[in-house]
Amino acid sequence: MAEHTVKAFSEELDAITQEVARMGGLAETAVSDALAAVARRDTELAQVVIQRDPKIDAAQREIEKRAIKLFALRQPLASDLRVVLTAWRIAGELERVGDLAKNIAKRALILNQDEPIQLTRSVERMGKIAGAHLKQVLDAYANKDVQAAINVWNSDDNIDAHYNSLFRELLTYMIEDPRMISSCAHLLFIAKNLERIGDHGTNIAEYIHFLVTGEEITAQRPRADAAE
Amino acid sequence: MEFSAAGSERAMSNSPAMTAPMVKANAGSLAGAAIKIAARDVNVHYGDKQALFDVSMDIPDRAVTAFIGPSGCGKTTFLRCFNRMNDLIDNCRVSGSLQIEGKDAYAKTVDPVVLRTRVGMVFQKPNPFPKSIYDNVAYGPRIHGMARSKTQMDEIVEKSLRRAGLWDEVKDRLAQPGTGLSGGQQQRLVIARTVAVNPDIILMDEPCSALDPIATAKIEELIDEMRENYCIVIVTHSMAQAARVSQKTAFFHMGKLVETGATEEIFTNPRDTRTQDYITGRFG
Repeated sequence: MAEHTVKAFSEELDAITQEVARMGGLAETAVSDALAAVARRDTELAQVVIQRDPKIDAAQREIEKRAIKLFALRQPLASDLRVVLTAWRIAGELERVGDLAKNIAKRALILNQDEPIQLTRSVERMGKIAGAHLKQVLDAYANKDVQAAINVWNSDDNIDAHYNSLFRELLTYMIEDPRMISSCAHLLFIAKNLERIGDHGTNIAEYIHFLVTGEEITAQRPRADAAE
Repeated sequence: MEFSAAGSERAMSNSPAMTAPMVKANAGSLAGAAIKIAARDVNVHYGDKQALFDVSMDIPDRAVTAFIGPSGCGKTTFLRCFNRMNDLIDNCRVSGSLQIEGKDAYAKTVDPVVLRTRVGMVFQKPNPFPKSIYDNVAYGPRIHGMARSKTQMDEIVEKSLRRAGLWDEVKDRLAQPGTGLSGGQQQRLVIARTVAVNPDIILMDEPCSALDPIATAKIEELIDEMRENYCIVIVTHSMAQAARVSQKTAFFHMGKLVETGATEEIFTNPRDTRTQDYITGRFG
């Protein structure tokens, strides 16, 4: 798209978009590190994830501050309006992703105090899918690629399906051996957090669709999560 | 208002069975609004120079329609077709069809003077006559013989000044010259003068460009109140003003109507890249 007649306006729009991309990177790292902390029983890494969360919160505040300034001083319209609005909305989603990653890290700290259990592998698999989902949607944002966003939007049921199967698996373990209940409950929460990260990714995909086309996706998303 | 309903209607349309994303078509149509002015293939030439090219659009009644576009794009030329102001310019030729309530405004039987009582106009600079405030408003009704008595004329003057939101400010000094009012008051006086002859269409050519923000806000508030009773068409260079006061927006560029639609749509999701570039300030 052509430059604005007022160049500073273009620069401010670019800056807020880059800030969202940077925040996306922080959230992505938080998720993958939290999962590595669970998989490798790495207490130190879990603590790093927890300590880094305020950076993600600060990024959200920075994006909101920039958005408010743009609204007040530039009165963005049409595609510019969508750029600012989308940055604001995605920042909110990423802040939640950061919190969920922090929660996974906290649970890793507890799990690391108990005996290792095999089911961690299934959670890891689900985590890889959720992490990839987040990465794809952030790439779609960086490239303003509406088709890639739609693909992410359509693939969320995969994460939901994994969550359902993990849920059943964990229940079986808990019934078989009540000593496992505590660890399994934590894993179940981790899985639920991953499922929610998937949902936030899907929301971001919807915002990208709006950003690029100006239209909302109005159909209902395919769901494989029977619990909801 | 019919126009603002379009957006909410879009957001609510969900079909649960869909597995692929479905996007509802742009709700740009202004369904339900009565059409006051219908222009079809309007061309305007000034001598050899063509100023408007095949402009076709409907102007809704009891709503505000804004014309936007860079200088020289033809928006004022198009506006001046509605009350045949272009007739006053030598070498100006208007072709195509322009109907007001289904009747040809350019038919031989139409007297432009009578037409202009129905289609009032407010200009960029407030232009009160060098007469008293009272006489400024009474001027039109007097030459058209609209009042049979002094009392009747007083009523017309008061009603018009009230409609223009000026009555309370001038009721104690009606005999003073209109030119002694502030710029914003003068513009409202001109609006009172325009409504005094009972028009049903009011054309405004950049009515706030010479006014400060407070006077502008008062005029905009007035426009918003007046749209209940009139068909209003406003030409403005202020995008924000078009967005604030109008329900329908038309974007002109180089004598062509590029895009028209619900104001909400034009300012959030214009279809044409030229509209997009203009309203976001990318026009070189």
